[in-house]
Amino acid sequence: MATDGLASLLGVFDISLDKLSNGELWLAQFFRGLSDGATYASVALALVMIYKSTGFINFAQGSLALLGVYLVYVFSVEQGLPVAVAVVCAMVASAAVAAFVERVFIRPFPPDHVLPLVIVTLGLLLIIDSAVGIVWGFRTRSLPSMFPRGAPIEWGIAQLTWRTIGNLGTVFAVVGLLYLLLSRTKTGLAFRAVSSNLESARLVGIRVGPTLGFGWALAAAIGTLGGALVVPDLLLEPSIMLRVLIFSLAAAALGGLDSMVGAVLGGLVVGLARNLLVTFLDLSELALATAVAVILVVLLVRPTGLFGSTRVERV
Amino acid sequence: MRGLGIVVAGGRRHRRRQIIGWALFALVVALIPFLIADTYSPTVFGNRYTVGLGNLSQAIALMVAVLGLNIATGYSGQLSLGHSFFVGSGAYLTAVLVNDFHWSYLSTLGVVVPGLFMFGVLFGIPALRIQGLYLGLLTFAVAAVFPSIIRLDKVADRTGGSNGLLIDSDLEAPAWAPLDTVTEWLHAVPGVGSRVPDGLTGRQEEAVYKYFLLVIVALVCFWLVRNILAGRVGRALVAIRDNPLGAAANGVNLAAYKTLSFGISAAVGGVAGTMLAMHSGFVGADEFGFSLAILLIVGLIVGGAGTLHGAVVGGLAIQFVPHWSSQTQTLPGTDVALEGPYGTAILGGLLIAIIFALPGGAAHGFRRIKARLMPVAPRPPQAEIVAGDA
Repeated sequence: MATDGLASLLGVFDISLDKLSNGELWLAQFFRGLSDGATYASVALALVMIYKSTGFINFAQGSLALLGVYLVYVFSVEQGLPVAVAVVCAMVASAAVAAFVERVFIRPFPPDHVLPLVIVTLGLLLIIDSAVGIVWGFRTRSLPSMFPRGAPIEWGIAQLTWRTIGNLGTVFAVVGLLYLLLSRTKTGLAFRAVSSNLESARLVGIRVGPTLGFGWALAAAIGTLGGALVVPDLLLEPSIMLRVLIFSLAAAALGGLDSMVGAVLGGLVVGLARNLLVTFLDLSELALATAVAVILVVLLVRPTGLFGSTRVERV
Repeated sequence: MRGLGIVVAGGRRHRRRQIIGWALFALVVALIPFLIADTYSPTVFGNRYTVGLGNLSQAIALMVAVLGLNIATGYSGQLSLGHSFFVGSGAYLTAVLVNDFHWSYLSTLGVVVPGLFMFGVLFGIPALRIQGLYLGLLTFAVAAVFPSIIRLDKVADRTGGSNGLLIDSDLEAPAWAPLDTVTEWLHAVPGVGSRVPDGLTGRQEEAVYKYFLLVIVALVCFWLVRNILAGRVGRALVAIRDNPLGAAANGVNLAAYKTLSFGISAAVGGVAGTMLAMHSGFVGADEFGFSLAILLIVGLIVGGAGTLHGAVVGGLAIQFVPHWSSQTQTLPGTDVALEGPYGTAILGGLLIAIIFALPGGAAHGFRRIKARLMPVAPRPPQAEIVAGDA
């Protein structure tokens, strides 16, 4: 009975036992999942930066990252700079754009009024996405990776590529640098003060506006870096960041919207879950839907995510 | 400025003015299809624009979609970025019922409305625990998923997968509809007549018939929603939006009303989907993706959240702004062609501009202008009217 049930269940999902017992496949998907997860984690980090400081989700984060990735393309492919240098230039440029956007479109609104701000970020999403389409067109392009090809470690089809190692290393380096920035510098202290209590921060003389602008710039730079990690696996075209944004939102929700460690772990979990589900349950069309399911379950069961701080709410 | 002078709310003159207003509205709605049955193509600044009746019909369907979103987001304040999911479900439900079960378009509403109401309620139940921004987050993701659900292999033979689905039933004007005769009458009217063709071709007749069908469905939707919102339910929803704690303290059952608002919102969205399917005779998965969801939010905010007139303005805006921009070959004074993605960029700019300059949306602006030109004084407590009271 039980085996019959199991077999029919497996049949529903087109699961073959061959696949399930294939250790190399597991390992291969594990590595790919880590690599994808690292890219989701970096965009999720950008979302968390904004959420921490301002308390709202920047739906234009994916678009800012998209703009950044196109800048990487311009600097590396069109201007012929080395990719790593191009990424740094693009990070600086997109940080400048984000600081400008924050100053012009976000700061005029009272920071505790969330709804208009969310609507404004939706407007920015429309504007930036179509501006990218206007400037660069809808042709797909390929973007070189920062990391060399090839894999230092191989077991059959399972390869731990330089790219995976590079993606993971980059994300951990970013988290480390962010931690140092936030805990060891005066700017970081101001940032933490603003995110913890805006009114009190203002009272002790912190210039709230520029601090938030700094948060936006930093988030855009991180998002651009994340985009530069993810795009070489895919092809560059204007709608690419939407999918990444959904997975990153799932990662951020899973980790807790205000936790950086949570964003990284959430990203890795979402990346792994996505690759394993797609491979073993044959759900390639439902990859996005699994991200939505993650968001739904997390928000229902534990709205603060795994590492987010609990909000005190009146019931 | 005094405008037309002050009238007292509910008084005879106010009533008369309202009746005249509605009569004018009805006249315009009834005449437009005959005036633009032959497509209307004005030339502005050297650009030739073509507006067909089909564009207007689509705008009417979009008005109803914005109306549905308005109930959940505008009135009861729950940020839903996934309304396109309901619209798409309605459209596909209609398409499949018409194609595979040979129903007529209008009879599919009998399934779409209750089906999507239930679906909306089911969707509203988790939304109870998820508030504000988090709900926006979830619905945003849901909207992005709709096309990939439609493209699933398991349902692709019914939904047509990525190719979309051509609905093989045409809405032909029934023999009793005197569209041709009316056109001939109008053609004989001096002045207007020159703009009206002296008879309708088969294709034009179909377009005019569809237009009237959509107008009627839309009017019924607006009328029902107005009645729902004008009473106890509407007040409860607005109270939940403005002050949930206060609403609960006054005996409003938050959970029941929030799920109800999602149910009604989804049902109206489903009707809008049916209308879109009726209008174009085709449904495609990507039409109902996340871009439609954002477009509807643009319509809601630009028109004015929490007002019924706002839905009308919003539907017109999200239909005609991209339409205008896609046909603008040269922007006056420059040689920029506003094709392709410019339309979306302009809508995004409009959204931000409205939030900055007119947070109540266009409906609020109109109301202010109307209050200037045609002031209506509230009815005084006694029947006495104090002269010169402004």
